[in-house]
Amino acid sequence: MRRTDKYRFYVILGVLVVLQFSLRGRLGDDRVAPDFLLLALLIYTIRARPGPSAAAGFLVGLVRDALTPASFGAGALAHTLVGYLSSWSKAVFFAENLFVNGCLFFAGTWFRNLAVALASGKLKGGLLGWELLVWSPLQSLTTAVAGVLVLWLFGRHLAIRLSDVT
Amino acid sequence: MALGADRYASRADTLAFIACVLLSVAAMSLPERIRDPLARGLRQTVLAPFLALQQRTELLSASLLRYEAVVAQRDSAALAATFLPELRGENARLRGLLGLGQRLSSGYIPAEVLHEPEPSGNLTFIISAGKKQGVKPLTAVVSPEGLVGIVSSVDAQTGVVVTWAHPDFRASAMAADGSVYGIVAPHGTDGPRVWLLELQGVAYRQLVPNGTVILTSGLGGVLPRGIPIGTVVGVAGEAEGWERTYLVRPAVHPAAVTHVMILTGPPSRGDLRSVFESGGGGAGGGGGETP
Repeated sequence: MRRTDKYRFYVILGVLVVLQFSLRGRLGDDRVAPDFLLLALLIYTIRARPGPSAAAGFLVGLVRDALTPASFGAGALAHTLVGYLSSWSKAVFFAENLFVNGCLFFAGTWFRNLAVALASGKLKGGLLGWELLVWSPLQSLTTAVAGVLVLWLFGRHLAIRLSDVT
Repeated sequence: MALGADRYASRADTLAFIACVLLSVAAMSLPERIRDPLARGLRQTVLAPFLALQQRTELLSASLLRYEAVVAQRDSAALAATFLPELRGENARLRGLLGLGQRLSSGYIPAEVLHEPEPSGNLTFIISAGKKQGVKPLTAVVSPEGLVGIVSSVDAQTGVVVTWAHPDFRASAMAADGSVYGIVAPHGTDGPRVWLLELQGVAYRQLVPNGTVILTSGLGGVLPRGIPIGTVVGVAGEAEGWERTYLVRPAVHPAAVTHVMILTGPPSRGDLRSVFESGGGGAGGGGGETP
């Protein structure tokens, strides 16, 4: 990986973080809008080893928990799990493919929401069902679409090699 | 950088993962007195620039929404301002009506005109006074500028007024100096002079100069004497050398009237000329040159 590619990689991740705090609020319902912060984490885990991915997930989750103190720690746990599993499973199972990456973004977002919902213990019964069966899939879908767009536009700069089968 | 099987989790990765999980669980079990300052500290340091960015974005979004609201308010104000001259005119008419009421001192009923947006709305209209207020048929309806019409029928709460523009309207009239008498009737229902009156039956030898004010004569016992009807603006025609018909510009246009007074006193109460002379015409109801 060239030095300039590394620089661009972190710039793109930074842009995603900025989008999380600027653009996301204007993309409609908060429960459906793409999660750019999680997307940045997932893109990071595509390239990183599981250990740093877990650490990055923990940090991202902790920062998010600071914004939702009622379930402090749940986000850290969920993002740690997502970061580690994403990086590990990517190395073990998945090929470098745009569709597969899209599925990873979808599954990562949905699993993060599941983990937060369960770890926080705030959602129960019908509310949990709605969250996991309606809102989470929708948010996962928008996040996956945003992630695929990012990879399609900047995949070369992210040093993620995509196969021709997309 | 290609991914490959060399990136399976090593022992260090596993340890890092377990450490992060343990830290997360520890964070979840933190008591509030530690958790809240920690969260606050993160918000005030790491998250501060991002929260400021989010705040500015929200502010920008709200500003855009407020801008639209301000533009809408400005447009509403501009629209309201277009009605300002009309409000001033109505205010002047109401003041004129009040002045007329004081001069009449008694024997009148104030009423609002309930205009209907129909083509015939200026020929007859409804007023907001009826039998309960003491309105009777065949009483004169006036505004500060002059004669509007005559009450044709009355209900309990409302009355129907036939204006001077109605084809059936007739009024006994005279020149302001009493030198000429005739019958006033609407000039016609079509053509450019549709909103003019005619002074009919004037003897051929009696010339009525333009600008002569025409008043009700009081003959016939229906309309009181001295109510301004209009001003002579020309000759409408001659009949075989024995009578002339003059065009009269009305003192008041029915469409411009919003409030009227129904004269309830007896027709023989006297000459109302002085009542209208001292205050009428200034309200600009029909553009007439009432004295």
